[in-house]
Amino acid sequence: MKLEWTEPDQQFLSELRAFLDEHTPVEAANGFDFQGEANGDAIIAPWLQAWQAKLFDNGWMIPGFPPELGGRNCTPSQTMIYLEELSRRRVPRATHFPGYAIVGPSLLEYGNDDQKTLVSAAIRGDTIWCIGMSEPDAGSDLAGLTTRADLDGDTFIVNGQKVWTSYAMVASKCFCYVRTDQQAPKHKGISLLIIDMDSPGIEVRPLTHINGQAEFAEVFFTDVHVPVCNLVGELNGGWAITQGSLAHERAGLWVDGVARLEQTVTSLVELAKANGCHDDVGVRRKIAAMHELASSLRSLGYKGFASYAQGSSAPEHSYMKLASSEAGKAAFELGMEILGPYGAVTDALRGAENGRWVNSFYISFANTIAGGSSEIQRNIIAQRVLGLPRN
Amino acid sequence: MDFSLTSEQDLLATTARNLLAKQCPPALVRSHVTDRSVQAPLWACLRDYAELGRNNCTDLCIFLEELGYVAAPGPFFASVALFAGLLESLDADSALRDATAAGEIVGTVAVAGLNGFWVPSDDLVKSFIVDADIADHIALVHATDSGVVVTVLTNPGERALTPVSTVDQSRRFFEWDTGDEIGGIIPCSPEAWSAFIDRSHVAIAADMVGTARRLFDMTLHYAKEREQFGKPIGSFQAIQHKLADMSLVVERARASVQYASMTVDAGSADRTRACHVAKAAAGRAARSALLEGIQIHGGIGYTEEHDLHLFMRRATASEYLLGPTSWHLDRISDEIFA
Ligand SMILES: Cc1cc2nc3c(=O)[nH]c(=O)nc-3n(C[C@H](O)[C@H](O)[C@H](O)COP(=O)(O)OP(=O)(O)OC[C@H]3O[C@@H](n4cnc5c(N)ncnc54)[C@H](O)[C@@H]3O)c2cc1C
Repeated sequence: MKLEWTEPDQQFLSELRAFLDEHTPVEAANGFDFQGEANGDAIIAPWLQAWQAKLFDNGWMIPGFPPELGGRNCTPSQTMIYLEELSRRRVPRATHFPGYAIVGPSLLEYGNDDQKTLVSAAIRGDTIWCIGMSEPDAGSDLAGLTTRADLDGDTFIVNGQKVWTSYAMVASKCFCYVRTDQQAPKHKGISLLIIDMDSPGIEVRPLTHINGQAEFAEVFFTDVHVPVCNLVGELNGGWAITQGSLAHERAGLWVDGVARLEQTVTSLVELAKANGCHDDVGVRRKIAAMHELASSLRSLGYKGFASYAQGSSAPEHSYMKLASSEAGKAAFELGMEILGPYGAVTDALRGAENGRWVNSFYISFANTIAGGSSEIQRNIIAQRVLGLPRN
Repeated sequence: MDFSLTSEQDLLATTARNLLAKQCPPALVRSHVTDRSVQAPLWACLRDYAELGRNNCTDLCIFLEELGYVAAPGPFFASVALFAGLLESLDADSALRDATAAGEIVGTVAVAGLNGFWVPSDDLVKSFIVDADIADHIALVHATDSGVVVTVLTNPGERALTPVSTVDQSRRFFEWDTGDEIGGIIPCSPEAWSAFIDRSHVAIAADMVGTARRLFDMTLHYAKEREQFGKPIGSFQAIQHKLADMSLVVERARASVQYASMTVDAGSADRTRACHVAKAAAGRAARSALLEGIQIHGGIGYTEEHDLHLFMRRATASEYLLGPTSWHLDRISDEIFA
């Protein structure tokens, strides 16, 4: 155990800092507090897309990857240093995570040589991807999905519906899980297809988020033709990839979750001061308890990272997902409590910072639902980490 | 930054675990409630590890976690974590430090006044002196007009110590009216005080995390064995989710203890804050482990026949020792509101 970073790690950090000092877009400075939601109307802000490309071109998009994939072959601990520095500065890599966080890594692992050529554009953000997993009747129970793909010669004919599909209205490709065997047990009849979003038969109906923005959609498939070469991995082997792609997402997520929580705690302190309740013991203790939570989660994340870097599976990631998403909600709630009668006010005249506490509170609901709800995380911890029987 | 244990540390943890499983079974903790002498043979085994008091805090905490896991009675915590810690930060008389590190003498510290908080005060009555009845040295920490001073006295057992009973018998506490015994020969600088108290906070946190982990392990085991409605209670989701939450709070407390002990060894600027966080996190873990632990055990957990209460008692007392959780939260808020 040791606290300091090694010489090469420090060198890595100073290179990163120099790059960020020089190139961080001005827009990043105010648009990304709390929930990391971009201000403005565009689903994917143009400046952010340019920023993602610049990170890629300079080897700072996924630093653990080789240069041709937007990285610089850095070590796992350097990856953590990188994620921490970005979070600390509240600088996003991109808002549309599917391409670089899920599609890229999954194609590298499961894709064939042709499909691997799609990876660099996914990570650079040149291709916008969406992920078609959830359906009206298959949310937590993802394996219950019924969107079907029937093979006809060298073409799959896809019929069905996806829902909550983030970025579907701007995406050019969908990483879509479909049922290819109606008879097999539910986990064994799922395949993964790459579907072009401009294929005839696809209809996208945007759904408005709880915060008023339309960032996800319903996607309907009616006799959509997909060439068989767009099958990723084995036919009926899709389930293994779902497990993999979620793991990619979770591995780096904790740094961000914890960093946001820490920033929220700092903002709570400022809010309490601004509202004259900084001497209130009750308020102080609640904020201190939030600090304790954020701080101990950071340590837990480091610990999980240590075992992950040594190649063992790290249960810490389920813990981190569960704890940081729940804590986020509680922290925003505390902000509203401090605001008292003005807790729910959102206007510019009287609402504290345009209602950002209550807005963040609402947006934070997504974190305990999407990507495996808190209940599902607890099931995973109980059954896979603690070895309790399935129910 | 590297949170993985070295192979020596892994070995230390395993050695401690095996040694304590053998030397400190629940039966010993139980008989210690009425027979104080049973701690002596245990200390005879543990004194070989007294040198941990002057070495890495990370190693000390690894060991203390295992002591908390078995709710070990005896002077290890008082002497190796507290007394040695104080001597080392004061750079005190080397013969005394050597003898303590060799486990040849047993010491304890008198810090808290009657108000119970571990903050140097001019209160002549000192309280919560840990295991003073079995110590042969006592370091008295006293606040004077010219700063904090420490007096090391011998044979506290011969003095008029009044027991302070808590729910827990694995550690004993005493109150002592020091009268005119305060000689104050060793000055204790603010830096030395803070080095000592920070280390003590993470030390008790490590012990407490061990006890919380024990409560959790016993409860998990019980949930797998106990059947109702024809299946293990651990297959019910309400129980699974409680266990998932318990394990989370215990694991994050463990990690925060590990981090805090690393800041102590590194002399990091983050040390004081990290040690308060560790104690508060461990306090929450202990509380949650005992509440849910009892609940999941049902009626059997409510009896003294079952061993669970031994650990529940230790956890409760640890939660209040060296500053209750709320006091540590107040120190954290002092820091973040500064
Ligand atoms: C902002 C946002 C973005 C999203 N983006 C995408 C996307 O891009 N692509 C995509 O495919 N999906 C996306 N989703 C969908 C998300 O993955 C699902 O919402 C999630 O898996 C939960 O499914 P559900 O909404 O059908 O809820 P349900 O599964 O119906 O769950 C309802 C409630 O029941 C509980 N529950 C369900 N099963 C169990 C169980 N076994 N034990 C205990 N409790 C249980 C849940 O925890 C929840 O509280 C997104 C969701 C949100 C909120």
